[in-house]
Amino acid sequence: MAVCTVYTTQSLNSACSISTPTKTHLGFHQKQVVLDSTGKITSKKGSSSSSCVITCSVDHSQTVVIGLAADSGCGKSTFMRRLTSVFGGAAEPPKGGNPDSNTLISDMTTVICLDDYHSLDRTGRKEKGVTALDPRANNFDLMYEQVKALKSAIAVEKPIYNHVTGLLDPPELIKPPKILVIEGLHPMFDERVRDLLDFSIYLDISNEVKFAWKIQRDMAERGHSLESIKASIEARKPDFDAYIDPQKQYADAVIEVLPTQLIPDDNEGKVLRARLIMKEGVKHFSPVYLFDEGSTISWIPCGRKLTCSYPGIKFSYGPDSYFGHEVSILEMDGQFDRLDELIYVESHLSNISTKFYGEVTQQMLKHSDFPGSNNGTGLFQTIVGLKIRDLYEQITASKTAAPLEATKA
Amino acid sequence: MASLTFHSLTGTVEKIPTSSFCSNPRISATFHCKNKGEKRVSRMTLKAMGGAAKYKGTQMREKQLTEMIEKKVTEAKEVCKGDETSDECKVAWDEVEEISQAKADLRIKLEIEKKDPLESFCQENPETEECRIYED
Repeated sequence: MAVCTVYTTQSLNSACSISTPTKTHLGFHQKQVVLDSTGKITSKKGSSSSSCVITCSVDHSQTVVIGLAADSGCGKSTFMRRLTSVFGGAAEPPKGGNPDSNTLISDMTTVICLDDYHSLDRTGRKEKGVTALDPRANNFDLMYEQVKALKSAIAVEKPIYNHVTGLLDPPELIKPPKILVIEGLHPMFDERVRDLLDFSIYLDISNEVKFAWKIQRDMAERGHSLESIKASIEARKPDFDAYIDPQKQYADAVIEVLPTQLIPDDNEGKVLRARLIMKEGVKHFSPVYLFDEGSTISWIPCGRKLTCSYPGIKFSYGPDSYFGHEVSILEMDGQFDRLDELIYVESHLSNISTKFYGEVTQQMLKHSDFPGSNNGTGLFQTIVGLKIRDLYEQITASKTAAPLEATKA
Repeated sequence: MASLTFHSLTGTVEKIPTSSFCSNPRISATFHCKNKGEKRVSRMTLKAMGGAAKYKGTQMREKQLTEMIEKKVTEAKEVCKGDETSDECKVAWDEVEEISQAKADLRIKLEIEKKDPLESFCQENPETEECRIYED
């Protein structure tokens, strides 16, 4: 379906710039229709000083770009899999390409791993004495150029950083998707890249939880012990605190993961407390709330209608301030043991952008294999996925709205 | 009504043995290992413990990553003996983290997604060394 995009300057009286057709890999016919300053369509082609040119083209004009800051590897993280699943279809590495590619592609989304923009490979970093967390190991100019290009529907040849060999492999072709997700350590570090993001998320894992997760990840490895796992986290912490952590002030949504407060002195990290910190006033994003928007709520769903097993579930919601911004915070402590607990909770949340009742529950069930499926981390990741879908639909709807009327003449 | 399988996030710290290890541990499940390497899988992981490498190339990659982890941990301990706050020490542990994550990613791919990363490549190039079907 052809959609007409009107390119105008501030007022219709001044000259309108002729739009450059967006580059797509589909052939299409461009019709040029000229509007005079009163908005009536004339048959004249070419612009006079008081007319605008409307270019009709297939609507592939703007890719929606999402940034995700996470320290848990690239494109294979649970969050990414949940996110791509909300849009339908499984995300796969590009077929027939480098088997060590970090990129994931599904129908609607392409996930790019920002490690691909390392300017220094493993040897280079060793020589210079910098970790991968250090901005000096990353090429932000290239990151900006390529994200900008993809956003403008132009394909790019993106480098591949091979995490096994530690080398930079030959580039792969990335075609502009409908939704581009850039995931990694520095999506919000560079200001130019930040300005390209339509939405950004920061995954903030507390030290105790990080330790517990890495123990679970690494303890079965022959080379590792509790000491080595601890030493690795400690050694990376200064760079992490200096370069990665400060990005959270720029995020539209932060998912914080902490140890539970329901079990006194719990240090096993089994039960988790998750906080969804949502910035107010973000375009196309309406924060999730409990019961009464803007008020402060404390809610324990377990009681007469719902029986929960120990340690139960506790929610809270309320307005707050985060790095000087107005935010709303939704918090869940505890875990789901049964399907009906999940449905019950879902039915009491508002602004979750589901398309049908039970969609959150359905998404959680679909991935009951994934870590976090029984607690707030999975719940909030799923909800953020739905909010992103909502944001995408709002952005694309606003582009195809009014100008369609002009073509009917 | 569909039955629900939930996995808790971590095993209990004190029960994880340091000397022996479980073959094919699941990332997201509670597990217990007995000293003889015998594994008893909790009731929440009744699915078949499949997910081993299908192609020789992947099996070799797994082995390579395991060895790299051991090597890099030893290196890091060595480098950090002098000064724990030195750049060299930071970089050494960062490498350990990178390889550990790469290994974990491979395990997730094989065990949870049940896909061999060489699948697509081996469809096109079945005669290559890496694409020989790995026989256990």
